[in-house]
Amino acid sequence: MKKSATIVQLKKEGRLILTEFESKKFLKQAGIPVIETRLARTPKEAVLFSQKMGFPVALKISSPEITHKTDSGGVRLSLNNMKEVKSAYHEITEGILKQHPNAAIQGVSVQKMAKPGTEVIVGTSKDPQFGPVIMFGLGGIFVEVLKDVSFRIIPLGRKDALEMIEEIKGYPLLQGYRGKEPVDIPALTEIILKISGVMKENPEIKELELNPIMAYKKGALAVDARIILEEKAVLRRAKRCFSDLS
Amino acid sequence: MAYISQKRTGLAPFFNPKTIAVIGSLKEGFFGGYVVIKSLLNAGFKGEIFPVNPSYKEICGLAVYPSIKVVPRRIDLVLIITGARSVSGILKECAERGVRAATVVSDGFAERDEEGVKLQREMAEIARQTGIRIIGPNTAGIANPSKGLIPNPYEMGYEKVKAGNIAICAQTGMINPQAFPYGDLHYGVSKICDFGNKCDVDECDVMEYLENDPATKAITLYLESIKDGQRFLKVSKRVTSKKPVLILKSGRTEQGARVSASHTGSLALDDRIFDAACKQSGIIRLESFRELFELPKIFAYQPLPKGNRLGIITFTGAVGVLAIDEGAKYDLTVPLLSPGTRKKLDAIFPGLGKRIVDIGPPMAVVNDYMSIYSEILKTVTVDPCIDSIFNVIWTGPSGEFMEEYLKIYRGLEGIRKPIASWVYGPRVPYINEMTCQLEDLGFPVFPEIEMAIKALGTASQYAKTKGGNR
Repeated sequence: MKKSATIVQLKKEGRLILTEFESKKFLKQAGIPVIETRLARTPKEAVLFSQKMGFPVALKISSPEITHKTDSGGVRLSLNNMKEVKSAYHEITEGILKQHPNAAIQGVSVQKMAKPGTEVIVGTSKDPQFGPVIMFGLGGIFVEVLKDVSFRIIPLGRKDALEMIEEIKGYPLLQGYRGKEPVDIPALTEIILKISGVMKENPEIKELELNPIMAYKKGALAVDARIILEEKAVLRRAKRCFSDLS
Repeated sequence: MAYISQKRTGLAPFFNPKTIAVIGSLKEGFFGGYVVIKSLLNAGFKGEIFPVNPSYKEICGLAVYPSIKVVPRRIDLVLIITGARSVSGILKECAERGVRAATVVSDGFAERDEEGVKLQREMAEIARQTGIRIIGPNTAGIANPSKGLIPNPYEMGYEKVKAGNIAICAQTGMINPQAFPYGDLHYGVSKICDFGNKCDVDECDVMEYLENDPATKAITLYLESIKDGQRFLKVSKRVTSKKPVLILKSGRTEQGARVSASHTGSLALDDRIFDAACKQSGIIRLESFRELFELPKIFAYQPLPKGNRLGIITFTGAVGVLAIDEGAKYDLTVPLLSPGTRKKLDAIFPGLGKRIVDIGPPMAVVNDYMSIYSEILKTVTVDPCIDSIFNVIWTGPSGEFMEEYLKIYRGLEGIRKPIASWVYGPRVPYINEMTCQLEDLGFPVFPEIEMAIKALGTASQYAKTKGGNR
């Protein structure tokens, strides 16, 4: 895989956290199915993009300084027409600037509202002894309250990926229940394997989270994403460690 | 660094030395070099032993040398039992004399204080620079009973350990002969290794050695920490494809992990991550200290099952049901016996059972029940619908059937299916005697119904992963 231009740029800027838009762009390049998202720099652009994508859409603030977008009032969901998009753009940018007068605002990301599916999460972190590890779980209360998640160490094989999906207690929910359709397990397996590859190729990534991923009967789509990079000192060590292993 | 050490001397000199030097305390007592020498002589070690201590001339009929420098032979293995501060100097002298393996029994290193941490680092550095391999410090050492190599630094109260096919390794001396009744239990081992503080040799080095040790059929380990996660994953994946690796890891709770980190001086290991590593590499995780010794027996003594279908022969229905419940945890099923078997069993005694074979009823009414028991056991074990067998043995008030049981089991030796037994009865001495005798024949006996089933269950799961492509 070619070194991502986004990551190279970020390192130049000395930034460690990618915006949602940057994260998605990076993941899309890595072959992970991501919901169509575009960065609008003006209300006019936002309207244009929404028309192209088709309503309803969601607008989210895109700023390196704003990591908790919802808490800062930087998110508007289910916008159904041009007027709503236009006013949402203004509300978001003005609200953010009021709260964070010095925030660098790249613009507002426009994305199509994902059609409802079963929400799952794929995340990665670094273990001091095993290096990069990957986590899988069902979204919402399953991960937050019940901690129903499974882990594997990167890199992992197809069988490991499948086993980590089957391992969670909520697995029957993915197989379909009470008339609900089963989700596309092979598509989720593929995402896990691709993320494993991304982490292996990019030791400079410290944490990565796809939350949620909408899983459907056919296919799956990452709706939100977040990537955090290693600090430089850590990065150099990681590089050495990885070159030793290969 | 771990990768460099892999290319250095292997561990063979630790387990197959022809010459051993014992450096340090030779005072008679329960601990020390004197005990090491006595243990070696008692166990029938065939190589040469060279005690080293400037204050002695002779011990146990052996000449004592004032320093390793003047020992007249090339030494394969040294055991160092001196004060912590003098260990590094001695190691350097050993390395200069071409010694390749050193077991450092001395304590007072990273487990003690800051100075100990420094001394231990010095030792690791000597290992790195000279290539001498070090087990320890703070270890009760190693053993290879097949060579009479039991250099135990603690008085053990018995002389010999049976040579067997289980390798037991731990980050504690709780597995060495002074802490476990290998002799009384007729428990056979291929190798014993207490890693101690792991300044050089670690769990991966030992696994790699045991991987190619023909005497070892199963590897069982107690760990608190691991030195290099990625290497551990790589090595264990390879080793488990050849022989089963069973691991008991402590520090499973947050509090346990904290205490472990402080007394081993290593990073706390996230149990969920370690669990993932075990799943990815095919390691069998153990849950109790007892299992560390018990579960490997099924792998060392018996063939692997071809499937997950369990046959049960019992004296009461209760034990059968308990066994079925436990088996479900490991995906063992108890199938309907084949029509041929059912017909045969009915001919021996009507109503013996279609799934669980309950020999309680005939035993109560048939006078010479042993004569039909042999037939029952054979019929069930050869049933094509059965992959493994759980057999219950009752020793009786006076151990009356022991000889017959042994005779019947001898007749089962050609059957290529694993048999796990559980022995019960009203008298402990007969239970113990029966257990030892059966295990001498190569049939493992488990102290609990649940453990016997877990042994068969893990064997079935291991056989499945080994058969599949991982």
